[in-house]
Order: sequence, then structure tokens, then C-alpha cells
Amino acid sequence: MSILVPAAAFLALTIPVIIALYFLRIRRPTRIVPALNLWPDQIRDRQANVPWQRLRFGWLLLLQLLAAAVLVAAAAQPALSAGTSLARHSVVLLDVSASMQAKDVQASRLDEAKKQAGGIIDLLGPQDRMTVIAVGSSPRVLASVVGDRQALHRAVSDVSASNGSADLSAALALAAGLVRPGEDARAYLFSDGIVGPIRTDSASSLPFPVEYHPVGVSGENVGLTSLVVRTGAQSRAAYLHLQNFGQQARSFSLEWRADGHLVDVRKLTLAGGQAQDLVLPVPADATQVAAHIDAGDFFALDDTATAVAKTPRAFRVLLVTPGNVFLEQAISLRPDVQLDVVAPAAYKSTAPYAMSIFDRFAPPTLPNAPFIAIDPPAGSPLAGGAAIGIGRVRASDAGDPLLTNVDLQDVHIARSQDLQSSKFGRALITSAQTPLMLVRDEPFRQALFGFDLHESDLPLRIAFPILIQNLSEWILPPSVPSHSFHPDEPVTIVPEAGATSVTVVRPDGSRRSLAGGSVATFGDTGPTGLYTVEQVVSGQVTRSWFTVNLFSEQISQLKPADRLTLPPLRSTTGVQSLHRGQLEIWPWIALAALGIVVIEWLAFHRGL
Amino acid sequence: MEPLLDPQLLRRLEALALRVRRAVSGKMGGERRSTARGRSVEFADFRSYSPGDDFRLIDWNAYARLDRFMLRLFVAEQELPLSIFVDLSGSMDWGRPNKALTAKRLAGAIAYVALAALDRVRLTVFAAGPTSGGAPYRGRRAVAELLSRLQSFPVGGPTEYSKLVWPIGRQRPGMTVFISDGLGETSLDPAMAALSRARQEGAVIQLLAPQEITPDWTGDSRLRDAETGVEREFTSTPVTQAAYLNALAERTHEIERAAHRRGLRFVRLSTEQPIDDMVMRTLRRLGLLS
Repeated sequence: MSILVPAAAFLALTIPVIIALYFLRIRRPTRIVPALNLWPDQIRDRQANVPWQRLRFGWLLLLQLLAAAVLVAAAAQPALSAGTSLARHSVVLLDVSASMQAKDVQASRLDEAKKQAGGIIDLLGPQDRMTVIAVGSSPRVLASVVGDRQALHRAVSDVSASNGSADLSAALALAAGLVRPGEDARAYLFSDGIVGPIRTDSASSLPFPVEYHPVGVSGENVGLTSLVVRTGAQSRAAYLHLQNFGQQARSFSLEWRADGHLVDVRKLTLAGGQAQDLVLPVPADATQVAAHIDAGDFFALDDTATAVAKTPRAFRVLLVTPGNVFLEQAISLRPDVQLDVVAPAAYKSTAPYAMSIFDRFAPPTLPNAPFIAIDPPAGSPLAGGAAIGIGRVRASDAGDPLLTNVDLQDVHIARSQDLQSSKFGRALITSAQTPLMLVRDEPFRQALFGFDLHESDLPLRIAFPILIQNLSEWILPPSVPSHSFHPDEPVTIVPEAGATSVTVVRPDGSRRSLAGGSVATFGDTGPTGLYTVEQVVSGQVTRSWFTVNLFSEQISQLKPADRLTLPPLRSTTGVQSLHRGQLEIWPWIALAALGIVVIEWLAFHRGL
Repeated sequence: MEPLLDPQLLRRLEALALRVRRAVSGKMGGERRSTARGRSVEFADFRSYSPGDDFRLIDWNAYARLDRFMLRLFVAEQELPLSIFVDLSGSMDWGRPNKALTAKRLAGAIAYVALAALDRVRLTVFAAGPTSGGAPYRGRRAVAELLSRLQSFPVGGPTEYSKLVWPIGRQRPGMTVFISDGLGETSLDPAMAALSRARQEGAVIQLLAPQEITPDWTGDSRLRDAETGVEREFTSTPVTQAAYLNALAERTHEIERAAHRRGLRFVRLSTEQPIDDMVMRTLRRLGLLS
């Protein structure tokens, strides 16, 4: 046992004070009288008639001394040594991801984790500090280096589980940033182990050890992991993927609804580990379709899937080329693009297109709109210098989002215009001789290729359609992407031209207004379901939709991980002077003191 | 063990007798005028003879004059039933001289006077309840047994006067002497009312210690009730002592008024008064003894 507040020992001075009061109290000799009722009830407080007399034993004195001693003991806050080891700075990492909503333990996995974290908080000594971090899709600090246990308990109890994933790497990086160099720290991770990829390289080493406290017991779950609506030549159909992630076979019913109306109900049975794909009808006029299963498992979030059934609005794109089948195919891959291909001689600048692609052609006047220009002829405003031979092709910035998944390793280009002196924009693809491709954001998103695609093997590489897709989506982002997003995933909304207001209606009916006129990122996508984007254009309200679904096999797997591979411990870790956690027992001692005071009161009234 | 009454006192007591105001109604013959007719030298009345009467009582002179049989009736002389109630509660075990001891001696002295006059004596001590002192005592030979029994009773416990109502009600008409300090928490009045109903002629003797009548201490103390053990802190000042004396006087007056209302004699005695003085002077002056 240890004493948390040794300074409270000075309160023990009350004990000699009580004894002194007993020395000074009036001594009243006991007189037996035949009839007490004849004597008036009259007493007069006076000074001690015999100061500093010999102390005589009395039950009241004993009880008062005992009560004082017990109160002093309570004030000193004695604590029993607990089994758990604590560092001076404890970092509690509380997993609040979707899988923590599973109810395979009492209440939920998150409640169990909170309970265990509360147990660590109770063990904190007066010198100990704690940081609490909620591990969600983005980590959140709930309490930073706090010693107040009440505040820590509040912080932990107030947190609720999200529908998103757990980015443990980000949480560990955040925790590492909150720990001072050389500080004696230790982290406690309360999680089911269903977390995003963890970087375990030495660069992400941790300045503190991490204790993993697994939460959850079962992986029995049936979940919907994919729902997409495909439009064929004649009709539309939905493709639903569902899987039994558990070991036991499960029978359940599937409800298929369109715009809330029941379309189909199917009885299904899935053996343990079995997956099934279903093709479900989509009514022609349906805006949204939803599937729901009643599997009676521990996890409800993946029991419902929603998809948008309306075809997105198409972009009109003009391709002016003497002939380029590669480009034509690459652009057509995008479903919401309506492509018009014209020869250079047939080009008219009056037709309204969302984007124009000029292949080896330059219009007399460059359109004041998004475009991609490829190998513009000499003499045109975009043309560069004389063609030069090109060696190795490389990315100007490998981290540029426009080059995501674009592998330029085996791409060769025979020759290209010299764009070194071009003022078009920043280089995206370059070489040792000259930049090969430039992009710019202002006045519109536009791109310039300095080489003829036919003088390169780029169109033959897988990188080409990806690059064109990236460029196309960058230049013409869908106003509202109609596919499904994961919870907490940001959604980019490009207001339509002339939109005066943009409002997002969430599945629970709450509305969020976005600033009209500029590209907005909507990040409030926690709840799963259908989101409606309402835009007011010229007084008319246009609606478009996107959905948020869990669709994560990793989370639906649900089985808690027994162990986690965590980043290595940094060699310059602070001195680990672990001490036992302390379980405070002063409330019980204070209760005992209260009992003694009550006994003393009773004893006084009984004339002891 | 020291005798309750010394022999000299006993000799002096033989000259005394209980003094009753009205004729008694005893069971056995004695030296008291009785309400019944019996054999004595004192003529009471005539009445007509009826068959079965003792013809020896026929007044032949009257027969000669009236030609009718007339019987001469004489006053019967019977014993006096005397009941002595002695308070031996906790409050009596107090004072110098001790009230309980004095009460036992006083009761013994009165009983002796009665027994010497062939009266019947019934002894009852009481505290929380009545305790019989055994079968009624009669005759001078019972004196030693009565005094011994009286001496053997323990002292202590609270006073419950109300529990005396039943044993008092069982008394034949006679005399009752009630010895108590009258300081119990309950009222003495029900017991005195019972005495009146039982046609008891008698006296209530309030016995107090001199330290009660005039407290001999001042200052701070913790008072403990001799009967209940209840304690209370107390500061004795002239004011509080005066309040006590008032309360005591009021209690005495209350008992006295109740006794007179019931036709009983009342006297307050202090234990510092010698027993023979109590008996020879005070009780004679009271009219209890003659």
C-alpha cells in the first residue's frame, strides 16, 4: 500500500487537539439522585474547572480519536498496489471504428473497451498523466496529458463509435507527437484489432511500448459487401454481393426495396464462409434501391446496402482528331461521357462542350473552357519549340494525384516539342530534355501534351487509360458522384453552373448547406444510407444522389485479432520506470469514519 | 447482622397501640372494638330471641318484665388488620441515614406495636411491583420473623405506584401504613384512591433524607437517576437549587393534598430523626399511635 498525499499527515495534529480538549473539558462528578425529574434541566458552559487533569478513559474519547485517525488516513489517500503497470504518461488508444459496434460482448465492444480504459484511469496516481485518443478514420484527441481522473472518465464515456474504419497508424503517429522526447510513456490500445494497414517500418517506430488489449469474442456475421446498379442495353439490374463471415450456417431473409417500396423478398441460407452474388431487378423509374437482411448477428451496420439507381447526367466531350483510336477508347471508358468525334476540318467552335480534346490540331481561337491539347501544330499559340529526341520518361512529382496508379517505367517517347519555355503550366510528365506534359488550373483545368501519341508506346501501356481517366475526372469531376462511399469518406461536390445554393440532405433527414459556386468537399458522411444533393439553378431545384455504405470485408470479418503487429520501439525510448497502478481506497475509509462518527453520536446520546 | 430495632425501643413500644378512628372488622378475636357482636363486657344492644340463639344470653330480667325472650348483645373485641406498604425502590436506597433502612425500621416498629396488641399485620414491599411479605403475622411471637423478613428484602428498581392498586383493593377494612419517599415518576394518587375504596384507615409517611431536603453540594456534576440510571449534566447554582426545592415541596404538597382528600393521615419525616422519636412523638402526634 502507498500513500498518495503524504502531506495530509499534518492533519494528525487533530488527535492531540482532541486529547487536549479532553484535558480541558469540565469534569463533572457523577451524583446519584433519587429523582432526576425534580432537578431543572440547566447546564452552564464554563471553563475547565480542573485544567490539565489526568486523562481518563472514556468511550467517547476513544471513538473521537478513532474517527480523527481514520479521517486523517482517508485524507492521506492510501492506495493499494494494483496488478497493472503504469508509466508516468499513459496513452489510451480507444478504437471507435465501426466494428466496435458489434454486440458480441455485453452492451458492445466499445462499451467493453471503455470499461477497461476506465479501469486504467482508476489506477492513475497523483503524478501520472494520461492522453486519450479515439482511433477512428481520423484520430481524435479526447484528453491531452490530463491528470484529472474525472475529466478522463468523462472524455472516455462521452465517445461513441463511428461507422468508419480505424486508422491506427495515424493514431500512433499522433500519440507519438504528444509524447515528449525521453518521456516515460506507455500506450494501451483497446481495440478488436480490425484496423487499417499499420506501417511497421523503422521510420514509423514508436517512442513508447504499446499494450494491446483485445476486445470482442466472435466473428459470426453475415454482411452485404457490395451493391452496384448496372445499366444494360435493355434494362437495369443490381448486383449484390453478400457473405457469411462466420463459421456457422445462417438462414435469413433478404428484403429488396426500390424507393422504399418492397420489390422482392428472398429466403437465403449461407454456410459458414460462403459468399453469394445476386442479380436483382431495378424498376425503370427507381431513384434508389436498398437491400436489407435480417441475419440476427452481432453486427447490424453491414445488414443494409443502398445504391443510386438513376443514371448520372452525361458530359458532352468533343474530340477533334485526324484519327486516334487509343484516345477515343480511353475517353469512352467513362460512363458519364458522351463523346463526339470530328475531323479537324469539321470543327466548329460554337457547339457547347464540357471539354474539348484537340489531337494534333489547334483551333483558330482557343475555347474559353476545359480542354486537352495534344501535339499542337507549329504556329499555334500552344506549340512549343522544335521537336527533340526524348530519353527516359519520368513523373515530375510522383505524389501528384493525377499520376495515381500511372506507371511510367516502360514508357518510351520518340520525340516531343520542346516545352521548356512554355508558360502553359506546371509539368506533370517530364524527361531529361524537356517537359512532356503540362497542366494548369486557371482559367480552366487544361492539359497540354508536347508529343504525338503515335510517336510513343504510351497508348499501349496500361498507364494510358488510367492517365486519361485521371485527367478527365480532374477536368470534369462529376457534379455529384453517384457511386457508394465509405463512412467518413469525403465527397467532392462540384456545383452545376449557375447553382445558387447546394444542400445535402443526410439519411437521417438533417440538412447541411454548402457554399454555392465553388467545388466543395462534404465530409459529414458518418451515417450510412442515401444522401440527396439539392442544387438550385435558375430557381429550379435539381437533385442528385450518392450513397454511403460500409462495404468493407475487413470490418465485416468482425473476428477480433488476438495480436497485432505494431511498429517497432524506437531505440531512444524514454526510461521505462514502470510503477504499479494504485487503487485508491480512501472512499471506503471515509465511509468507515462516517460510521465511527455515527457510533460516537449514538454513544453520546446513550450517555456513555 | 445488626438487629433492625434495639430491645430498648421494643420495650418502649409495648406501651403504644395503634389508634383507629372507627370500629374494626377482623376475623379473629382481639383487643379492638369490632363492628360485630361478640363476647365482651361492654353491652351493645338487645334483640328478640330466635331459635338457635345461645339461650345463655337471654336476659331473664327483661323476660320477667316483658314476658318475651330478649337477648343481651355485647360488643365483640376483634383484631385490627394492619397492612404496611414499604417502598424499597432505587430512590429509597439513598441518603445518610439510608432511607430504605429507616423505612424498614419504621415499618418494623409500627408492626411491633400492632403485633404486641394481638393485631394482624400484613407486610408488602414494593418497587416496580408489589412483593408480599408472606402470610399475615399475628402475635408477639411473629415479631422476630417479621423483622427478619423485612431485613432480607433487597432494595432497587423503579417505583410503580399504580401496581399497588390491586393488592390494596384486596385488603379487608382496616388500617394501612404507607411508607415511601413519594418520588417515583408515576403519581401516588391511584394507590391512595384504592386505599379509600378499600375502607382503609391509615397514614402516608413520606420519608426523605436530609440531603434531599437540603442539598449539600454545588457546582458541576453529572446527575444520575437512582431508579432509571438516566444521566444529565447539571450545574448547581442557588437558582437551580431553589428550583429543586420548589419542585420537592410541590411534590410533597401534592401527596399531602391527595392523602387528605382520601381521609388519610400524612406526615413527612427525615431519616435524620431517630426512630424512637419518630414513633414515640411524631406518629403519636399524628394520631396513628396512642
